[in-house]
Order: sequence, then structure tokens, then C-alpha cells
Amino acid sequence: MSPKKQTESFLPLTQAMFHILLALADGEKHGYAILKEVARRTDDKVRLSAGTLYGNLARLESAGLIAESSRRPEVVLDDERRRYYLLTEFGREVAVAEAQRMEEALVQARAKKLFRKPKLA
Amino acid sequence: MEKETQPFSQRLFRALVRVLPFDFRTNYQGEMEGVFREQRREVEQHGGIFEAAKLWKETIVGIFTTAPREHWQILTSDCAYAVRVMRRNLGFTLMAVLTLALGIGANTAIFSVVHAVLLRPLPYPGGQQLIFIRQREKQIGVEDLRFSVKEIEDYRAQNRTLSGLVEFHAMSFTLFGHGDPERVRTGVVSYNYFDLFGVKPLLGRTFLPDDDKLGAPPVLLLSYEYWKNDFGSDPQIVGKTFEMNDKIHTVVGVLPLVPQYPNENDVYMPTSACPFRSNKMHTESRDMRMMEVFGRMKPGVSAGQANADMATIAAGLKSSYPQSYPDNVGFTSSAAPLLEELTSKARPTLLLLLAAAAFVLLIACANVANMTLSRMVQRERELAVRTALGAGRSRLLRQLLTESFLLAIVGGLLGLLFTYASIQLLAEFVGRMTPRAREIHIDSGVLLFTLAAALGTSIIFGTLSALFSRANVAASLKEGSAGSGTGRRQDRLRSTLIVSQVAFSFMLLIGAGLMLRSLFKLQQVDAGIMPQRVLTMRTSFNWSKYDDDEKTRLVVQKLLDRVKTEPGVVSAAISSRYPFEPEIITAGAAAVSFNFQIEGRQLRPGEAPPVSTYASVSPDYFKSFGIPLKAGRLFADTDAPAFKAPDVVIINEAARHQLWPNEDPIGKRISADGGQHWAQIVGIVGDVREFGLDHPPSPEFYGPQAQGPQPAALVVRTAADPQSMSRALTRAVHDVDPQTAVTHILSLEQARYESLASPRVTSSLLGIFAGLALAIATAGIGGIMALMVNQRVREIGIRIALGARPASILQMILGKGLLLAALGVAIGIAGAIAMTGLVKSLLFEVPPTDVVTFGAVGLTLFVAAALASLLPARRAAAVDPNVALRAE
Repeated sequence: MSPKKQTESFLPLTQAMFHILLALADGEKHGYAILKEVARRTDDKVRLSAGTLYGNLARLESAGLIAESSRRPEVVLDDERRRYYLLTEFGREVAVAEAQRMEEALVQARAKKLFRKPKLA
Repeated sequence: MEKETQPFSQRLFRALVRVLPFDFRTNYQGEMEGVFREQRREVEQHGGIFEAAKLWKETIVGIFTTAPREHWQILTSDCAYAVRVMRRNLGFTLMAVLTLALGIGANTAIFSVVHAVLLRPLPYPGGQQLIFIRQREKQIGVEDLRFSVKEIEDYRAQNRTLSGLVEFHAMSFTLFGHGDPERVRTGVVSYNYFDLFGVKPLLGRTFLPDDDKLGAPPVLLLSYEYWKNDFGSDPQIVGKTFEMNDKIHTVVGVLPLVPQYPNENDVYMPTSACPFRSNKMHTESRDMRMMEVFGRMKPGVSAGQANADMATIAAGLKSSYPQSYPDNVGFTSSAAPLLEELTSKARPTLLLLLAAAAFVLLIACANVANMTLSRMVQRERELAVRTALGAGRSRLLRQLLTESFLLAIVGGLLGLLFTYASIQLLAEFVGRMTPRAREIHIDSGVLLFTLAAALGTSIIFGTLSALFSRANVAASLKEGSAGSGTGRRQDRLRSTLIVSQVAFSFMLLIGAGLMLRSLFKLQQVDAGIMPQRVLTMRTSFNWSKYDDDEKTRLVVQKLLDRVKTEPGVVSAAISSRYPFEPEIITAGAAAVSFNFQIEGRQLRPGEAPPVSTYASVSPDYFKSFGIPLKAGRLFADTDAPAFKAPDVVIINEAARHQLWPNEDPIGKRISADGGQHWAQIVGIVGDVREFGLDHPPSPEFYGPQAQGPQPAALVVRTAADPQSMSRALTRAVHDVDPQTAVTHILSLEQARYESLASPRVTSSLLGIFAGLALAIATAGIGGIMALMVNQRVREIGIRIALGARPASILQMILGKGLLLAALGVAIGIAGAIAMTGLVKSLLFEVPPTDVVTFGAVGLTLFVAAALASLLPARRAAAVDPNVALRAE
């Protein structure tokens, strides 16, 4: 399978998956941090629970979009149960492809003047 | 902080997480709990009760949407993996699937019968409220006395437990006006018969109260099948008229396709239309009993209460009409659920077959488990590698169970095909024992059973194989290790499976063997007649033309004279019935029994009067059947009113032994009507097993046709093949009276053969099951011995290298196979003895612990085990020590 095709087979991403990838775009995070960041960034519109978060992490991890980081924070801050996740190169490609897909959709919507207020008769 | 005891909400969360797959939890449970703890803390610090509720809602929804997805993913990947494994081991897969298909198929087939006949409620609204009422004369062995018109009126008026009570009797009338005169099976019923059963007509209407009044214009209802087959589903049938019994009958309706109890009929008519039932002789008599009676219990009434109610009515009748209910016959009345009544004959046979089928499935299970275990040896490495790669134990178990389930499902589907193929035959067989046979078909209940059987099967043999893999996985990674401890354990498990297969096969073979011996004995029974070259047929005269004895006598004489002119006829007779007549066997001897008094003998108080069966026969009856005369004389043409001859009877030897043990009965007189008429005994003939080969001869009285004509059957002894005469004889009957219907043309040998149909099919089915079991068990022993030899090639090589003779190696392997067989047989004997109750009632003159059968079956199994072990044993004896030792 060509790399492009492989990327496309993940599209469109679910909202939760896309936001998890996005949360990891600026560095590794542990589960709770991902959950908090997604909630903050979407103004609480995308709310993950423990179940959905780890269900998605498991799938992203087995597909190679994210990976577990070997880095551990300082002992004082570290909770031994916490694992940190990072975005893989492939994961970044998928996230970019998804963002592009959404952008194209947006461009087309603009071209159709979808955002103009309808004239009242 | 972390070490303090978990709060309730945290424990609840942990419980919720358990719905996720094991592997998922192993990976993420700790983290998930951590995340949830953080979320909880945050809510406790900043949020209110509303926030807490929202958190719980999201958490629960999240877990319950994630879990099915995770499980499904594992299932699909396990299935894909299983399919790959199955394809790689095609031989194993085929064997396993076939074995399971036979096991599951046998069970599904028998279950479809048990389900339709014994388990499903009657297909009528409120069918469990329907009862069958029965009058009996217990003391003289009459199990079904039936009812007279007067009695039906009494039961209807006096009962307190029934919301309705209806009558039924079967008749056979000739219908004119639709092609050739046609004999139609007619059910004569109360007007509300179909209302009581809750049957609505497909066309037209059922009967109305007015139809049932004496003198009402005769009306008919057609059964669905008769309407469809004989009238091509004519939608204009209602209103058409036909002639029956010299009267015009109008069709008022067509019944839907419903099972007809107690038996199937072509047409139904109300009681007023039946010339016999509406005759004064019946309507005004308490003693002319011909009807069967059904009732519907009032809501909330139990069968026990209805039963007690009927007994009370019977007791009342007895004290009101002592003349009709003599003290000494043991008159009673009882009620039983209709379902029970309709299926009681089939129940023991069906339960036996169900047990047999279950045994076949158990054997199949044990065999597939054994095959799987053997294959595990080859898969040890693979499983060990997967364990090493991090697959948890439960993950492996799950994988193995998925594999077994796939095998079982494919086996189950194939088994379902077997069921489809065999269900018609089964229904025909069961039709001899219960009118419910027509309801047998494959429905959702049966499919569910198949699924359950497949699931149960896969759990049994899947768990067995997983049990082994658990013991062995660790050991097998060590290069070359035979894992002696686990090896022995696995050997023992496999041997146990083989022993149980042999034991179950033994029990099945015993069941089949006993039934076969019983059938053989039945076939050897001397029925007291010479069945070769005798043709029998039912002759139904248009009775309305022959409404008195004189006319009937005349037509009987004319018919006999005509038949005797036919070339090839050796002798011919007219009779009321004949030996092995299928209808009479079904109805039982009681249907043709009467009680009587012997001149000069007084009954002691409470003593039952003598009872005998009775047949009306023309003089050549005994000659035609080859029944020998033992004393006195046979009937002559002069035993007739025309010669002012006294009434005479001939008795059989059973009657002489039972009733006149110490004196000569010839010249003695008997009366069946309280002494108004007496008949003198003039001869004694040999005993005949009229009512089936398993019925010991009982007292029988024969009277001459001329003194009481009942021309229901024509029997002819022929010079050549009797079947070749059937057309000429039918023509002869029609020459005498074209309105006579000729039916049931059967050679006596056929009738005799038919009378054994039920035990024959039961033994055949058991035989098939036992044969399957034997084949599976033999293949199992062979497979296991071959595997044992394979695993021990090195040891055998060493033994031979150390000087063991090939013969002793052969002996060693054979010995092991025979030891397993011996253990299995020993357990099988115990099991077979424990289960004798199941077959006892079906056996004829064979004890359920018959030594010959046990010996023969034991020997068969030993020979089979020896043969199965022989091939591996010979391979073992031929092991070349050089090759064997170098192989490692």
C-alpha cells in the first residue's frame, strides 16, 4: 500500500481521534492531560471519558499513529501508573491529511457562499 | 493519599471496567482508574451534584460503547486466525466437522420430533385446557369403553368443571356425485366441536346448533387437504351438494389447515347426519357406546379437578342405572389433558431415541476433544510463542474457544442439512404412534436447539483442549523436552476420553442390540395362521341399501358365490375383521370385545364377567387363514336362519383354557344379552395373534356371518401371488354391487410386516446411532494409538535397540488399546444396567440385561478396538531403531 493510500484509509477521523492527535501535536502527554487539553481547546464541546479516551488510544496505538514514550517525568511529579503518549510521524501525516480534508471542504463551502446569510423574501 | 481505602465510587468504576476485554484491562485499567480519580477530584472540588451526575453518565456511556467494539475486534481477528488454522489442517477440520455434524444432526432431528410432539402446546387457542374423557371397565381390562348418547347427555348436564363437552366418532361413508363413488373418512361431531377447539373455518361456516337437531338438512364441512386434493381448492365449493347415505348433503364450509384430532378425516358432519348415531337404537340407549368425548376445562380448573369431577359423575351413573353399570366390571371415568392422551404412545420411544442421540453427541464431543488434543501437540510451539509474545492465558483460551465454536457451527449447519433430509421419514415413523406427527417441522425452536447444541459442544471440547494447553505451554518452549509430567497428564485425559467413548458406544449398542433381538423374536412368533398367499380388503357396502340382516345375508352370499368363480381363488370368506388389520391393531382388542355369561354358572359377588373378543365370519374363514380345527366342527352353510338352525359359536384354545379348564366346552352355551339369546359352542380352533405379534392370544369367539352379518372384510386365499388378484377381486365386488367401496387391499404378509413397523423403525434408528457411535469410537481409538506410537517412537526405538522383539512391542500397543476398551466396556455394562428402565417397555421376550446381547456387543467392541490398534501397533513393531534415534 502506498503511504498516501495508507494515510487515507484512516480518513475521515472521528472527532475524538482527531482531537487526541491534535493534543499530542505539541508534545507528549499522559491520558488525563490529553483529556483536559481537548476539553479546554474545544470549550468543553468534545468531552472524553476514561472509556472513550483509552478505547481511542488503544486503536491509535495499534495503528501506529501514536506510541508510548519512554520518557518519564521527575519522580516527584510522576505517578507510576501514568504512561505518556507521543505522536508518531505517521500519526502526524494522518492528522495533517485530516486537517487538509476539512480545509478543502471549508473552501468549497465558501465558494458556494454557504456562509452568506439567506435573503429574506 | 493513594494508599487509603478506595472510596465507593472508585470501586464502582473498577466493577464497570470489567466489561472490557481482559487484554484491554491488562493494558489500560490502571491508567483509566487514574484518569477517573482525577476527574472525580476535580468535580468534588469545583463542581456540584449536577457535574458529578454528568461525569458518571459520560463514564458509563464511554465504557459501554468501547466494550463491544473491543470485543468485536478480538472476535473478528480470532475468527480470521481460526479460519487460517482450519485451512492449514484441512484433514483435521473435515474429520471434526463431520463428527460434530453427525452428532448435532442426530440430536436436531430427534429434537425436532420431541419438540413438535411432546413439548409444544397443542396448536389451538387455550390448548392446555382441552381434555380427553374416558370411561373404563377396569376389572375386565376395557381401557376405553367410549360413550353412549345418553351418557354424553348426562356428563354434559352434570359436570361442574367444563365449559364445553363435545363428542366425536369416526365413520367411513360413500360419497356420490363427484366422479366414482368415493369412500370418505367422516368425522361425526357435536355442532360446537370446532368452537371448542377454537378452529375458525377457512371458507363458509362451521356447524350451528340447528344443524345438530334430528331431521335437520344434512350438511358437510370439508377438511383442507380433501378440499385441496379432491376439489382443486375450488373457491365455489360452499353450497355444492353430494349424496351420502341416500341423502343430499350440502357443503357449508372448509376447515383451515389444522392438525385434526383424534384422527384425520376428509369430511365432518353433525351427529344428526350420521344414520347410526341418529338412529333410535343409539339415541335412546345407554349401552350403545361408540363416541369419544372431549372437553374444555373452565378457566382455573386443573386436570386433577376435572378428573375428580368425571369420577363423581361415573359414580352417580352407576348408582342410578345399575343395569348398565354392573358392579363387577370396575366402571370408572377419568379425564386427562388431551396433549398427554395424544402422545402417551410415542413418549417412551421418543425419549429413548433422544437419549441415544445425546449419547452420539457426547461421543462426538469426546472424539473431537481428543483430536484437538492431538493437534495441540503439533501446535504447542505456536501457542508457546504466542504466550511468549504476551498473549495472556485467557486470551489463548478465548482463541481456542473461538476455533472450537467455528468448528461446531459449521458442524451444526451440516447437521441441520441431515435433519432436513431425514425429517420426512421421521415424521412418517412417528405418525404410527401419534396424530401430532404432521406438526413436525424445523422451526425457530429447533434452530435455537441446534445453536445451543453447537455452543455447548464447542464449550466442552474447547475447554478440554485449553485445559491441556495451559498445562503444557510452559514446558514446550524448552527444546526437545517431552514435558514428562504434563505428558502423562495429557495421556490420562486422552485415555479417559477414549474410555468414555467406548462406554457410551457400549450402551448405545446394547440398546440397539436389545431392540434387534426383540424384533427378531417378534418375527419368529407363530401367529397361528398361514399368511402366505392371502389377500385381504375392506368392503364397505352402501349400508342404506342393506338395512336389515336378510338383505345383508343375501349380498354376502352373492359376493362369496361370485368371488369363488374367479380363477385362482382357493377359498374366500367374509368377516367383520381379520388378523393384523391395521385399524384394529390401532384401536386395540377392547374395541371388539364383549362380555357374556356362561349357562349354569353364577358369578360370585364382585366377580367380573368373562370377556372375549368377537368376530363374525363366514364358514371358509378358518380354511382361508389356515387356522386349524382342534375339536368339534367348523361352521356350515346350514348354520343360518333359513335352516332354522340354533345360534352357534366357535371358540379358540385360549378361551377353552381360561374358561373351561377342566371340562369339554363343546355343547356349552353362552349369552351376551343377559340370557335372552343363547349360542352353543360347536368347535374349538387354534389361537391366533390377531392384535399384533406381541399380544399373547386371548379368548376369542367366532360367530357365523349368517347369524349376525357384519361384512366389513373380504379375505381370499389364492393359488398364486395374492397381489396379482387384487384387480379381479375388486371387479368381482363391483359386479355384485357397484356402490361398494373397496379399500385397504393388502396381502396378509404385508399386514403382518406392517404390524411390526414401529419396532422395526425404532431398532433401525437405534442401530444407525449405535453404528455411528461405534465408527466414531473406533476411529478415536485408532487415532489415539497412532499418536501414542508417534510420540514414543524414540522410546520404542530404544526398546528395540535393547533387544525387545517386535512381537512384544506389538503386544504392548495392542494391550494398551484393549485395556482402554475393557475399561470402557466395564463402565458401559454398569451404565446399560442402570438404564434398563428406558428400554424395558419396548422389548418383547428379551430381558433388558440379555446375556447374549451384552456378550455380543462386548465382543464387537473388543474386535473393533483390536482392529483399530493393530495398524499403529504394527507400525510400532516396525520401528527402525537407527532412524528413530537419529531423528531427535
